[in-house]
Amino acid sequence: MSQPRFQTVGRHTFFSRLDFRSKLAVFISVTVIAALWNNPLYVGLLMLSVLAACIQTGISGSYLRLMFRVMAPFFILMLLTHGFFNKQHVLRLSGASHLTPWFTLPTSWWLVGGGMLSQEGLLYGITVLSKSMTFLLLVPLCVFTTDPNNLVLGLVRLRLPYKLVFVFSSSLRFFPLIFDEIQAVQETQRLRGHALETMGALERVRTYAKIAVPVILGSMFKAQQIEVVLQSKGFSGKADRTYLHASELRGFDRGVIALAAAGMGAAIVLSAAVGLGKFPGAQ
Amino acid sequence: MSAPLVVLEKVSYFYPGAAVPALFDVDLAIPRGEILGLIGATGAGKTTLCLALNGIVPQFHGGRFFGAVCIEGLDSLEHPIHALAARVGIVFQDPDTQLVTASVENEIAFALENLRVPAAEIRVRVAEALAAVHLEAFSKKHPHDLSGGKQQRLAFAAALAMRPALIVLDEPTSQLDPKSAAEVFALVREINRTHGTTFVVTGHAAAELADVVNRIVVLSRGRIVAEGPPASVYTDAGLLAREHLRPPEVTSTFALLAARGLCPDTLAPVRLEDAIAAFPSLPPARAFYPPPVPFAVNGVPILALHDVTHTYSDGTAALRGVSIDLHRGDYVLIVGQNGAGKSTLLKHFLNLVIPTTGKVLIDGAPLATQSVSELARRIGYVPQNPDRQIFNATVEAEVGFSLTPLHLPVSERRRRIDAALKALNLSDFRHAHPFALSKGDRARVVIAAVLVMEPEVLIFDEPTTGQDDAGARAILDLTQRLHAQGRTIVVVTHHLHLMPGYARRAVVMGAGRVLLDAPIRDVYHTLPVLEQTFPRPTQLVSLARAAHPGNFSLTPGEFAASFEPLSGSTLA
Repeated sequence: MSQPRFQTVGRHTFFSRLDFRSKLAVFISVTVIAALWNNPLYVGLLMLSVLAACIQTGISGSYLRLMFRVMAPFFILMLLTHGFFNKQHVLRLSGASHLTPWFTLPTSWWLVGGGMLSQEGLLYGITVLSKSMTFLLLVPLCVFTTDPNNLVLGLVRLRLPYKLVFVFSSSLRFFPLIFDEIQAVQETQRLRGHALETMGALERVRTYAKIAVPVILGSMFKAQQIEVVLQSKGFSGKADRTYLHASELRGFDRGVIALAAAGMGAAIVLSAAVGLGKFPGAQ
Repeated sequence: MSAPLVVLEKVSYFYPGAAVPALFDVDLAIPRGEILGLIGATGAGKTTLCLALNGIVPQFHGGRFFGAVCIEGLDSLEHPIHALAARVGIVFQDPDTQLVTASVENEIAFALENLRVPAAEIRVRVAEALAAVHLEAFSKKHPHDLSGGKQQRLAFAAALAMRPALIVLDEPTSQLDPKSAAEVFALVREINRTHGTTFVVTGHAAAELADVVNRIVVLSRGRIVAEGPPASVYTDAGLLAREHLRPPEVTSTFALLAARGLCPDTLAPVRLEDAIAAFPSLPPARAFYPPPVPFAVNGVPILALHDVTHTYSDGTAALRGVSIDLHRGDYVLIVGQNGAGKSTLLKHFLNLVIPTTGKVLIDGAPLATQSVSELARRIGYVPQNPDRQIFNATVEAEVGFSLTPLHLPVSERRRRIDAALKALNLSDFRHAHPFALSKGDRARVVIAAVLVMEPEVLIFDEPTTGQDDAGARAILDLTQRLHAQGRTIVVVTHHLHLMPGYARRAVVMGAGRVLLDAPIRDVYHTLPVLEQTFPRPTQLVSLARAAHPGNFSLTPGEFAASFEPLSGSTLA
């Protein structure tokens, strides 16, 4: 079995073959468009397109499920907040004089009694959720499909300081080691008779807290070892170094960058000129 | 005569905050082309000396440094580490943390890129280094997809590509199986012969070091206490005993033969070939095959695997139809190279994984009905790295941590903790912080923390890795005492030479199958099966078989006893 690692995609696709700078252009373009649009249908479709791209490039289903699971409480909170409480902003967006009630909480309920869930508020919640998801999905789409070395080269070509870029790419490699460490320590606790699954909340927190000692010490030890190894390999963090592989933009990279820029420009112009992507009902 | 490649003059070094020096008054000259072995007990200063050779000590670690280290005339204090890196390549023991890029060729290129070698030249050197370590077919692979042995060869190639005058190997084989370790030592010989590269090699593998090095330096508490060719260092019984070092098996065997008057005491080989060549000086050997001690077979096996297969989600078939019974009172050794399926087998005993097909039983009942934590009270598992097992601020709390879920009465809890601390000689350290103890002592704390649950079965996973001879013996002696108290013991280790006298039964695993399950003597001498998973048997087994085809000795004592006594005139 291989070691855990951050880069999860082994499938060769058109997107994975792109230079990291081209992917960055796609990332910026899609993020700007998602930020610009407020139509839940448009933003939802954009989010689904990015999700489809993730699946097509081979981002693992287990990673996507984990992401949805972790984010689910925030998404629910987002829907409820906008649905119940974000009245002024939603009224301004929709241009309506009042919101369409969908559900009202009994007035007898403490603090939230009488609160109204509006149709427009809920739609706006879905829009914000889709915007967030689009951004969250773009990160693995661009990072997981890139070999860490190409990622370093791409960022260096963008004139980012080499040391900063190397720290970033090393983190991608180091985090799986920490997760591996946490998993091993948790397993050890179970092997010492601690059944986390049957513990009460307080006892579980106390047991989890004990993980910190070996994980922090282990991580510090590994970090120091890696630092010693890097020093031994002549790493000084200076940009004044050579590269085995050149990172040159190819024809299709230039095409993708041009397309991303054109798409972003078109979205901005159409949004301003004809209101493309506006919230339903807005003038 | 040319100047030495490396010169250490009166080198002393204290780590930051340390009151005791890690190195003290070290004078050493290493000529070009030498392979130097650096040995010593755990904590003797071997790694510190290695790190001083390329300036990491003291430039990276800080602390107080006295004296001078010069490499090719460059003072290690006056030149930055990255300048020294071009002259001194280092290979560390842990493959996990020394490979920093995402492909084999990039790993080799990384240091060259840092040294600003032009891309065209890097390509040439990468190709050369890959060819030197025979990894040409893996250039595009991710380093973590390679086996441990190949990872060390890759680390070797990365050092080699810098074309350094000196390559330092700090315990390069301590985490490898014997096959991978043999690959690394073969490479040292080859590179030294073909490139003339100078090597410094540290480690506890006496037989391999004796085979490959020209000179050995013995460190003790930071001081050089002896140096000389392997034949003089490994035959100095007093020195080895003082420093808790173990000579190659052939050396201790011939020392015993000499002590019994069976050969002249001037005959002290340190290499297997030399020992076999010395046979004409010995009286003829007899066949030796004592009847095996019957295994404990007490009713229903305490643990059993019936035709178990296990395939991981990535498609790796780790176990293929494994059947094995462990009875109460067994002491079983499990051996096999990395990837043979040993760890997966242990995980089935602990219910950490469930079989893809087949059954795992405890006392005849399905093991899967019990949770991992419930099973932990019956099956104690002592993993390899003690530092992942320490969660508490005192030794006593650490040992008691395992008892918390049992909600025992205070008196019973106290009794168990006291008994476990006493069994491991830790009573005096009960209030100490576990991380304030030595690694060997921390390993004992972890064993005590498992023992306190009073499990019926104890599984030790590579308990002797990283331990010097004294530490390894102490742990194995403990397993013997626990076995004598009636516990069932399972030990997984690559250190076959340590196990005769402890294990009664041995299971050989290879490619996810049980290749052989027999008394330890039969296993050690069934060479065709053993060689499927190890490149060679222990030195003693090779010696015994060379002496007489019917000689099945396992220990120097048995081997010596299988010779007829020499007459005084023959000795003269």
